[in-house]
Amino acid sequence: MSSIEILQDILIILLAGFMTVDQNGLVIMSWFPVIVGMITGLIMGDLHTALVIAGTFQLMMLGVAALGGASAPNYGLATIVGAFVAIRTGTGIKAAIAVGLPVGLIAIQLEVVARIICNFLAHKMKTDNQQHKWQTMRREAWLGPILFSLQTAIPTLLVVLVGPQFVKFILNAIPTWVTNGLTIAGGMLPVVGIGMLMHYMPVKKFLPYIIVGFVLSAYLKVAVLGIALLGFAASYWYFTSEARKVKEAVTQAAVDEDGENYDE
Amino acid sequence: MSKQEKSANPKITKRDLRRAGSRYNFMAVNLFNYESQMGPAVAWALAPILRKIYPDDDEYQAALDNHFNYFNSTTVMSSMILGATTAMEEKDGPQAKEAVQSLKTSLMGPLAGVGDTLVWVLWPTIIGSISGYMALQGNPLGAIIWLIANIIFWFVKVKLFEVGYTSGTKLVTSLGSKMVLFTEAASIMGLSVVGALIATVVKVTTPLTFQFGKVSLALQTGVLDKIMPALLPALLTLLVYKLLDNKKWTPTRIILLVIVIALAGSYFGILKA
Repeated sequence: MSSIEILQDILIILLAGFMTVDQNGLVIMSWFPVIVGMITGLIMGDLHTALVIAGTFQLMMLGVAALGGASAPNYGLATIVGAFVAIRTGTGIKAAIAVGLPVGLIAIQLEVVARIICNFLAHKMKTDNQQHKWQTMRREAWLGPILFSLQTAIPTLLVVLVGPQFVKFILNAIPTWVTNGLTIAGGMLPVVGIGMLMHYMPVKKFLPYIIVGFVLSAYLKVAVLGIALLGFAASYWYFTSEARKVKEAVTQAAVDEDGENYDE
Repeated sequence: MSKQEKSANPKITKRDLRRAGSRYNFMAVNLFNYESQMGPAVAWALAPILRKIYPDDDEYQAALDNHFNYFNSTTVMSSMILGATTAMEEKDGPQAKEAVQSLKTSLMGPLAGVGDTLVWVLWPTIIGSISGYMALQGNPLGAIIWLIANIIFWFVKVKLFEVGYTSGTKLVTSLGSKMVLFTEAASIMGLSVVGALIATVVKVTTPLTFQFGKVSLALQTGVLDKIMPALLPALLTLLVYKLLDNKKWTPTRIILLVIVIALAGSYFGILKA
């Protein structure tokens, strides 16, 4: 193993660990596959392959959000691990999906574990506050980000330790229909995020806009950005007209209130 | 020391506010636990600024204790809430405790609803689909734009703590109602994109063909595409949407279901990549 490969291994593990800390707070690169994938590509020295893999996972992730403390599959981790193995072994996107997807799903469990451990830390900090040990309280808070970084650093470390060549060996042993099936799943999986997305949003109230977007795309082949712009036009119109209504209602109410005041 | 002296002597500087804002936005969910969720992060973030407000040890301890309580909201929004509560604590000292707690509890829910939709759902979906397609072609432009946007957002989030502090509770409350309208408007844009995504991002096709004597008919191009383009993706979306109505069908379970369907489809040659 060359020294460059060792350096890459270390950087990939650090990237995976930092990703969670960033996602939990800074949100500069967060766990968004294209951003994380771009950085992975720069580390591994193959931006093109990393971006294609990242793009695939990015589309799977659309609409997937971990809201209100819920956990969701970690497509960012899937991108890092998938791109790492695919680039190191020279295997393509199929290998990236076959390795990345399971790792991204398993990582959910580690997040739950990290949050349970963090409960003890929270109690410790609270006790320190009650004992007026504020210096300690503020210092031990840093254990939180360290703990959460392990949630993605450990799975990546395992993949690096086991070695991408071994992963490749296992992948070769898997029958073709399985890897094909996982690729098919990769094409279908964006549906989960889209379904979740529709659940967060007022679908019933604004159903026509889904239909408009679908028709423009499926029949007329308008690109996503074009549809987003049309959507923006519609929402701009909605916002201004509704804001005017609210304003009128408020001034009306204010006038009514004033009227009552004069009566008194 | 009387309260008047405290408020007549404003010790909190812009630098303190920026520090508290960045501390909070950095720690956010990095101390997340199932009991008090973001509580410890709030206490940790506000510790230096609260020390300035409460030189008295017992008052400081009580104020921190208060912030250790359950809290969870989108960071963008809670930046403003916590800025406002800091202003309240500076003005009223320990007496503000109850008001601080009730402002936090009453605003975190509604503002999180708005904030999560904008910050974690709508924006990543729109920029994600655009940059995702660029990335598939090996083009990093979308990812770079997204990265730069996130850096700008960071400064906005930190600034919002200051905004909450200076404009106080009134703005935070009234902004809440305006944000609801804003989110609705943004949802229109989001749902138009969702319609497009169903047709383009979800990929299900079948290689099945029927033989009628010498004539063969491909199910995909000959039948399904004639009925409606992207018919299978539309039906699959409807199925997942309906399944999600049921609490038992968590997203993770649905992901596993999709993988099982895909594997079976691959094995029997019903679906193709």
